[in-house]
Amino acid sequence: MSAAPPFDDLILAVARHRDRAAFDALYRHFAPKIEAYVLRLGSDRSVAEELVQDVMLTLWLRAETFDPVQASAATWVFTIVRNRRIDRIRREARPAPDPHDPAMATLPPPSPEEEAQVALDGRFVRDAMKKLSPEQTEALRLSYYEDKSHSEIAEERRIPLGTVKTRLRAALAQLRRSVKETA
Amino acid sequence: MGLPGHHPQDDLLFGYAGGGLREARSLLVATHLAYCPSCRERVAAFEAQCGAWFDETPSVSADGHLDAILERLHGRLGAEPRASVPPPRPRPATAEAVPEPLRSWLDGPVRDRVWTAMVPGVWVSSWSRGTGGSLARLLRMAPGVTVPAHRHEAAEMLLVLEGAFRDEYGRFRLGDLIQYEPGSDHHATGDEAGECICLLLVEGEVVFLDEPGPTA
Ligand SMILES: [Zn+2]
Repeated sequence: MSAAPPFDDLILAVARHRDRAAFDALYRHFAPKIEAYVLRLGSDRSVAEELVQDVMLTLWLRAETFDPVQASAATWVFTIVRNRRIDRIRREARPAPDPHDPAMATLPPPSPEEEAQVALDGRFVRDAMKKLSPEQTEALRLSYYEDKSHSEIAEERRIPLGTVKTRLRAALAQLRRSVKETA
Repeated sequence: MGLPGHHPQDDLLFGYAGGGLREARSLLVATHLAYCPSCRERVAAFEAQCGAWFDETPSVSADGHLDAILERLHGRLGAEPRASVPPPRPRPATAEAVPEPLRSWLDGPVRDRVWTAMVPGVWVSSWSRGTGGSLARLLRMAPGVTVPAHRHEAAEMLLVLEGAFRDEYGRFRLGDLIQYEPGSDHHATGDEAGECICLLLVEGEVVFLDEPGPTA
């Protein structure tokens, strides 16, 4: 694993040097994904095109906030798409904690045991996701990533509503078990 | 035992990560995240999963319309002001200051509200945020006072911001987020030690059980 992830480097090149060639390469890679995602979620073509512009401009202006240790390039771009969609299409605010908030430092600190558990938490979710059946993974994807209601999923997949609910419940139970087993 | 002991279910954390949660629910989840590094890790893992799904989307475009958008963007890249590092936020004046994002959304101290008494010793803020029948409000309980038994036709959630309370399901303190199933009822009692203030999610009708008729 010696090759650096190329899209990480492209975002860093935009952040550091305002590199337009890097921006174009990022655009060619991500713009079709953004458009396809927004269309999947039910927007029409003109709205999707506007969001592509909005997201890519945000990427250009806020490239400095990308931290490759925190998230992959695709995850970082996804969070921009998600936030801009909530702002522009749903016209709502998206509340988020502020890691630089001084009030957070005044909260009770975790015990050493809690600290150790926190470090494992994310990894167990990632491991559990890999163990789900393809049907369970798809149910999670449609529900949380594509923001579809249970009945929309049933209709789209031509399966009974009860089956959708069962799959989601089973998938979420698997994720929850992954934490309990270690507690 | 510094960290919260009661957490949002993964349905809420995944919904928050994917962007499907509406405003008021997101506010409760995001404020819990400020108290809870454990749930921050889980949300980051769910975001990474959404990022992986996003990455699986083919990077192909049928015609040249995206090229035209790139042309237009080129004209704007130099013109837009660059993001600057925001100035550090002023340190909250009092020890009881709630963390972000709620602090900004409240726009003033927690107690500095117009309160409506539900019963003696239990108040609900006139301040609310949210959309489409899903609202976040503040709930304030005097020491040792019990909120009358009530049933929620839809979901109810509480996030403890100050003090503690107990009910049939347990004892809850700073940063705990408690979810009640639709149709369930419970008796919440504030701790004797001091006032308890919670962020409250209300959706749908609330039916008081000890009174002759339904009250909102
Ligand atoms: Zn938590």
